Amino acid sequence: MSPKIDLKPAEKILECYPRDMTSLIQVLQDLQLTYNYLPREVLKRVSAALSVPLSKVYSVATFYKAFSLTPKGKKVIRVCTGTACHIRGANLLMDELERQLKIMAGETTSDMKYSLESVNCVGACAMAPVIMVDETYYSNVQPDRVKKMLDGKQ
Amino acid sequence: MVTLKIDGKIIQAREGTMVLEAARQMNINIPAICHHEAVEPWGGCRLCLVEITHDDWGGWSGLVTSCLYPVEEGLIVTTASPKVIETRKTIIDLLLARYPGSPRIQELAREYGIEKTSYVPDVGRDNCILCGLCVRLCAGMGMAAISTAGRGAAKEISTPLQEAPEDCIGCGVCHKNCPTMNIPMQDKNGVRTIWNRKFELIRCSACGKAHITREHAEYLCEHQDLPPEYFETCDQCKRLENADRFAAIVKW
Amino acid sequence: MKRCKTPADLKKWSTGLDRQRKKTKTRILVCSGPGCLARGSRKIAGAFQKELAARKLDSKVVHKLTETGCHGLCQQGPLVTIMPEHIFYVQVKPKDVPEIIQQTIMKGQVIERLLHTDPGKKEKFQDYRKIPFYARQVRVALRNVGLIDPNDIEEYIAVGGYQALAKVLTGMKPEKVIDMVARSGLRGKGGGGFPTAKKWKSGRDAPGEQTYIICNGDEGDPGAFMDRAIMEGDPHSVIEGMIIGAYAVGSSQGYVYVRQEYPLAVKNMQQAINDARKAGFLGDRIFGTPFCFDIRVSRGGGAFVCGESSALMRSVEGNVGEPRAKYVHSVKRGLFDQPTILNNVETWNNVPYIVSEGPERLASMGTKKSKGTKAFCLVGKVRNTGLIEIPMGTTLREIIYEIGDGIIRDRPFKGVQTGGPSGGVVPNSLLDLPVDFEALTRAGSMMGSGGMIVMDDRTCMVDVAKYFLHFLMEESCGKCVPCREGLKQLHNIVDGITRGNAGNGDLEKIENLSRSIMEGSLCALGKSAPNPVLSTLQYFRPEYETHIEKKKCPAGVCKALITYLINDKCTGCTLCVKACAFDAIVGKKKKMHKILEDKCTRCGACFAVCKFDAIEID
Repeated sequence: MSPKIDLKPAEKILECYPRDMTSLIQVLQDLQLTYNYLPREVLKRVSAALSVPLSKVYSVATFYKAFSLTPKGKKVIRVCTGTACHIRGANLLMDELERQLKIMAGETTSDMKYSLESVNCVGACAMAPVIMVDETYYSNVQPDRVKKMLDGKQ
Repeated sequence: MVTLKIDGKIIQAREGTMVLEAARQMNINIPAICHHEAVEPWGGCRLCLVEITHDDWGGWSGLVTSCLYPVEEGLIVTTASPKVIETRKTIIDLLLARYPGSPRIQELAREYGIEKTSYVPDVGRDNCILCGLCVRLCAGMGMAAISTAGRGAAKEISTPLQEAPEDCIGCGVCHKNCPTMNIPMQDKNGVRTIWNRKFELIRCSACGKAHITREHAEYLCEHQDLPPEYFETCDQCKRLENADRFAAIVKW
Repeated sequence: MKRCKTPADLKKWSTGLDRQRKKTKTRILVCSGPGCLARGSRKIAGAFQKELAARKLDSKVVHKLTETGCHGLCQQGPLVTIMPEHIFYVQVKPKDVPEIIQQTIMKGQVIERLLHTDPGKKEKFQDYRKIPFYARQVRVALRNVGLIDPNDIEEYIAVGGYQALAKVLTGMKPEKVIDMVARSGLRGKGGGGFPTAKKWKSGRDAPGEQTYIICNGDEGDPGAFMDRAIMEGDPHSVIEGMIIGAYAVGSSQGYVYVRQEYPLAVKNMQQAINDARKAGFLGDRIFGTPFCFDIRVSRGGGAFVCGESSALMRSVEGNVGEPRAKYVHSVKRGLFDQPTILNNVETWNNVPYIVSEGPERLASMGTKKSKGTKAFCLVGKVRNTGLIEIPMGTTLREIIYEIGDGIIRDRPFKGVQTGGPSGGVVPNSLLDLPVDFEALTRAGSMMGSGGMIVMDDRTCMVDVAKYFLHFLMEESCGKCVPCREGLKQLHNIVDGITRGNAGNGDLEKIENLSRSIMEGSLCALGKSAPNPVLSTLQYFRPEYETHIEKKKCPAGVCKALITYLINDKCTGCTLCVKACAFDAIVGKKKKMHKILEDKCTRCGACFAVCKFDAIEID
């Protein structure tokens, strides 16, 4: 039985925007940051508050990469898969991370410790290949450093 | 009125008419799976592509979806040029790979001489061809109970949060218009089952047929200002009633 | 913060700031562009703050500490520049800060070890303007980026900000503004290269209740961060450009659409808008004229397709980013079905420059059909990666070898990728190509938004094609069949080639399918998606054929087609044995090691650790 979701933060966010469809994506952005994902109850509340059909809210929430309908891990590992990072071996890093964490890109470990994502260009191409763990950047990462990086974080 | 040429024949059409409609007026058959007169054209299936050019365009020609391209004075349209046929065949080939089991696609493929797909077929997926008609018609009805979910090749038609849709009124418009009959609907013992929801059907007081869901009836009464007992009789019986009444007035 | 009701108010404010600037002895510019930020520029700025305070030195006026946008030479970051001498320190660490203050700021002495050294000539550069990387650039869009505090409107005003707006609103008719932009030759910098003045005129003439203008900050091309640098580093230039444009086309509401992955750009643009409003440059009766205009920031949701103008507009409306057919142009029916002018960040940023310097200035640079300059991100296997701006017509050779200082480790240059996922690879044989819209398109690529990725002989072109196809497959909105299904199948074929599973006639299949995708797709994402594979096929066909016929990857990239070997340079140091997570390397200390082919996953870990070049990729 999942815990009941506190809708107070959602109400606070909804108060900041006009109550119509043009606010939908902005509202969902703020909710994603606050709740770390988009709970069902929150989506239903958004639908009622903005007078947007729930089907539409769901469609938008599943179309854009910014939103997740399942909670993210405590730490989010982002592998930059921009072109410059790719030609400097980013896919080898992703393979190694998937192997070590035993999840695929886009998933979260069962102990909710890590989420693994790919991201397109963080603008640090001089440091390619780049991995971000939350707000920390790791530059010129090679596959052998991956384990050390994870150990350092655990 | 606007004068244009389609496949060599000169026709006149009202401004604002789409090339697809104008062609159909001339009995020229252009396939268009995602098209429906009741809703705005969408341009998703791309089967209705035609080649257009114009004397003022310096020899330039291109492919456009005829469902969305408005007629223009002096437009020259070719509905089955080599470029159109090549592109259309590829689209059908791709659809066949995606939905190998769909009878409608198989029929189209046969029409264009395609026996089986030259691409890697998808396995284990249903017959949804993502024409979007169900979603657009539902939204057009005013319910918007279903929508697309996701994007790219993983895009699919879904109910909100993958739960039984609360906004559905069981009208069955999606089921009736799906080109590949991919939306199941069952009417049994006065109950309609669709999208995992069950609806009670009103039985006609005259013939006893279960003909419309209570929710659909309520919706129509509210939006079309009809008396609440309007749907106590089914369409057929209403027609018979009106015919009797008319006959009584005219006294044949 | 002052409120300017008239141009005279602005002039007074600017003069006042000039007076104040005379009190500044040094300006300490700490670069906080994306690259330097990632390398810890905040810590350096913090160190300066702390040290200056400890020495009781004023960091607000006399020794003005400024965190700026991207200075440009990202490869050498973190960067610190001391003005007015333009002293340029590279790879600065927080522990260098006390010395910089003591030696350079207090005594005017240069710290040699922190200067940039030209790797070729071993020459040290004190003034950054003399470094070839900078010397060859002409910074128009980037005129303020890296030199001012983006979050302080007064810094923008001090360099002449909003004077162009004052000139336009109080002395020019809208048609004259459009004419001025036309004479400058400005073309859209987002990739399309559409003549800006022409778009504005169509928008102005289009009937509707409300005309909107939009700034496209959805920079989705992987490897491009020019727009990010402008939005983060000089947001007011974009705002001023938008206000001028709004006046020219008759709009009272604008939107800046920023991609979700740029939270700092969102923050800086929003602050700049708030400040511009307080100062009276946005809102009602700007500069005392009847003209009213305001801007809202709209965040993207994480979708590359929203860089396409009609998909962007759907997104602003709160919808999924599904494009519309362009048969009715968005200048006539765009956002909320109203006339809409959409331009890229860099395009808007050019507008105040055109007004203040005169259109002839921009028109005097560039080539016959591509006037002015263009900002690029020079990245990849080049020595000097970073943010640059060059006049149109500069050759690729100059960019890669003079500004970029050549290929890392002097490896052979193979090609340069431009135009992002919609572009192509320009090979070695076309190195003397002058960079402009038409030349790049003729070469099978395109200008795009400005990403320029340099590739060497260790880059596999088939893999590059597969990479872009995979990217576009994930980013496709899924509305139309040719893109949604076609890219999936095209990717399948190219992927098969990289795995040694090519079928008969695959290359012909690629060409035919590509043609149909280009003809049949609804929007530019789909229509241009086959460009990378077609361009690499055009210039690197033998490489494809080697993959297919010999099942080998000459560049040593495609895992299924390569073998890792240890050669006789091996000293038996066991580093690779330890690095291998699959127990695929055997070897005792001081004895030559061996890779067990059946266990090796080609992860590259051993290659990365070997110090003796003993690991080869066949």
